[in-house]
Amino acid sequence: MALDDLRRELCRALDTGAVLSDPAQLATYECDGLTGYRVVPALVVLPASTSQVAATVLACARRGVPFVARGAGTGLSGGALPHAEGVLIVLSRMRRILDIDVANQRMVVEPGVTNAEITRAVAAYGLYYAPDPSSQIVCTIGGNVAENSGGAHCLKYGFTTNHVVALEVVAPDGSVVDLGAPTLDPPGYDLRGVFVGAEGTLGVATKVTVRLLRTPEAVRTLVADFASPAQAGDAVSGVIAAGIVPAAVEMLDALAIAACEEATGAGYSRDAGAALVVELDGPQAEVAAEFDAVERICRDAGASHIRVAADDTERALIWRGRKAAFAAMGRLSPDYFVQDGVIPRMRLGEVLARMAEMAGEQGLRVANVFHAGDGNLHPLVLYDASRSGEAERAERLATAIVELCVEVGGSITGEHGVGTDKACSMPKMFSEADLAVMARVRAGFDPHGLANPGKVFPTPRLCGERPGPYKPHPLELAGVVERL
Amino acid sequence: MRADVGVRVLRPTDLREARDAVRDTPGALLFRGAGTKQDWGTAPESTDAVIDTAGLDQLVDHSAGDMVAIVGAGMPLSRLQEALAPAGQWLAIDPPLAADGATVGGVFAANDAGPRRLRYGTLRDLAIGVTVVLADGEVARSGGRVVKNVAGFDLVRLLCGSLGTLGLVTEVIVRLHPLPETSLTLRIPADPALATDLALALAHSVVEPSAMDAAEGGLWVRLEGRAAGVNAQADAVAALAGDLGAGCQRLDGDDEAAAWRRLREAHAGQPGETVARAAALPDRGAAVTVALDAAAGAAGVRAELASHAALGLHTARLTAENPVACAAAVADWRRRVSALGGTVVLRRGPHDLDAWLDPEVTPLSALTLMRAVKAQLDPDRRCAPGRFVGGI
Repeated sequence: MALDDLRRELCRALDTGAVLSDPAQLATYECDGLTGYRVVPALVVLPASTSQVAATVLACARRGVPFVARGAGTGLSGGALPHAEGVLIVLSRMRRILDIDVANQRMVVEPGVTNAEITRAVAAYGLYYAPDPSSQIVCTIGGNVAENSGGAHCLKYGFTTNHVVALEVVAPDGSVVDLGAPTLDPPGYDLRGVFVGAEGTLGVATKVTVRLLRTPEAVRTLVADFASPAQAGDAVSGVIAAGIVPAAVEMLDALAIAACEEATGAGYSRDAGAALVVELDGPQAEVAAEFDAVERICRDAGASHIRVAADDTERALIWRGRKAAFAAMGRLSPDYFVQDGVIPRMRLGEVLARMAEMAGEQGLRVANVFHAGDGNLHPLVLYDASRSGEAERAERLATAIVELCVEVGGSITGEHGVGTDKACSMPKMFSEADLAVMARVRAGFDPHGLANPGKVFPTPRLCGERPGPYKPHPLELAGVVERL
Repeated sequence: MRADVGVRVLRPTDLREARDAVRDTPGALLFRGAGTKQDWGTAPESTDAVIDTAGLDQLVDHSAGDMVAIVGAGMPLSRLQEALAPAGQWLAIDPPLAADGATVGGVFAANDAGPRRLRYGTLRDLAIGVTVVLADGEVARSGGRVVKNVAGFDLVRLLCGSLGTLGLVTEVIVRLHPLPETSLTLRIPADPALATDLALALAHSVVEPSAMDAAEGGLWVRLEGRAAGVNAQADAVAALAGDLGAGCQRLDGDDEAAAWRRLREAHAGQPGETVARAAALPDRGAAVTVALDAAAGAAGVRAELASHAALGLHTARLTAENPVACAAAVADWRRRVSALGGTVVLRRGPHDLDAWLDPEVTPLSALTLMRAVKAQLDPDRRCAPGRFVGGI
């Protein structure tokens, strides 16, 4: 009843055809990139302007109806999973580039503009937008803001939050608010910084101001083959110890190499135990000096072969192979979970050994693709859903792997977000007090909890109650925190 | 530094003592590191007790391989840098007042930074984890010990720059950078218009300076990295300056260090000076300078300007016999900079005569949300009440 009323109001406020309620149409929005979770939303709206987003959110707020924002739906943690009694706000129609300020290296776009479009629009000026998630061809800047997306090059350049300077957002009460500014140090709390990465739980971004970087003078890329990931890890440590900050350091293990080669033929050595991709960029002479050092360090660490990209075409091929890694797993296994965890880089060898042990115990294979420079692991847990119990074992293994990351002092997610997928793992990483304080910040923005409810924070409904005797928090055991 | 006459001062030495001090001390609290930026913001409405972080000064952990350090909030920044240097690393931030003992927690709370912000950002970019004690004694952490981490809300950024109005930050986890192998600085004589043009041209060139400051009648361009890279970049800067009709002078070693010390400290000002900071888009640099000259001229005060030119940040130091004139100049400059799309805040000076920020000139559309966040984290307004924007 309330929903019928809401639908009528939204039909008046938005363009004809911008409010979907036909079950077949609604069903196309039932999941994002994490396809294991599916919920059909009550309504879908496709606003074309900030005022239409504001009208939608206000209509929801008046009735206490939850709303979920969605960009391209490429997220891997179920952050854009719809709410069954809620409105899904799809921002794909808001895809205008509003302003390009070349002199000050700023650009203002609507949230539905894709990551790659931003760079395409300014490439002629010698500028680019740095964060480069693997899905950059299709993922939207609005989704990047929600997830604080990274990418292979965030080791040197940082994440979305380092490159988004201002936002226009519709707050959960329907008001339109500016967070941040195109200039530095806008007075007040850095609410922009809180909003970025809050996974849509604080409102809906309707305009995004990004800073652009000058395209580097030189880019050099190599692929070094090693006998094992641990040996490749030694090379990474050597590079870091030499005071070099590469633009990107990526590692693939043997299974990942095999999958990439099946899918792309990018030229990775199939007989290597691990492939290390190192990319340097910057001023020509600087890059030349450091690239020589990187080659030497790789050789000293035992590289059996080093391939240096001869030109942009070869570099693009190397990256195509790397970025296809997730999708390529389909060549090796009918089903797989993509995991995302972070460890202190120095613990790599130990974590890989533990992970192999855990996979062996479950009788499953795990392929590994890492952003090796910053310890961000993407273990791919391979399984066959047609075999009884295998999916459950794979899911348990995937969860155990992120919990291992926390145990060694890392994080449950480096870039895919918490979303629906990991909300129940949050208490592994944060204490009740930590989560309570985050919830208070959220209540400041959204006292009624209407913006993307059920995401990020564990709920009893999602995770079950956790009564029982006191058990020391994993972080206490790891010596990371003390209980007062 | 303000006198603490009649005000209790507590110096906790660990997290538990800090928690107890915040929770169990009634009334309005002021958190203090070395006290070098106590003037920032509006004077708090009241202070019943000062919680001093001097006892929270440990380098808790330095993982050189991971390039991460866990630092007690009260640790002086200069002492941290000394501890990191043997590993060839540093916390890549060079704010003023480090020589006066500025602490990591204080720099964090103020979100202060120096010339090399151009390359490395501020602690908002470099801090990856934080521990905070809220007024009700709740102890919370955000972020963690790894750089790449998107789990949970980013309270690190919220707290950085909050001037101690949300809670007591007891510990900060920071990412580190390698100390550059070589540094070289070029000084290009330039008036404000040329300095702005040069800074923009360099920002669009293949050169990647770590700092570009306009002050003392010139543009100062700092290049850091490998010797070969730095020399090649220096030639490129000289060529570009030549194209715009300017020569340049090269500085290294002690001369270079002394120059940057001066340039950096110019943004802090001296006792007796009124210090105001403008932020504008970088291409408004010359206009911001002209605006200051006009405002200072009209009010009859002396004005010096130091700018992080490529960042669009400008610090004015004003002196006059009568502080009322300085306040008038700041107010006038604020209006003029606002017309250029920028903001001006008062950092040091006659707070009783001029606001830190004038909401009439600089309306904040997010003020309602900021108040709501403050009300959630510090509902009784115990943490430096009134110090922040809009009376927060």
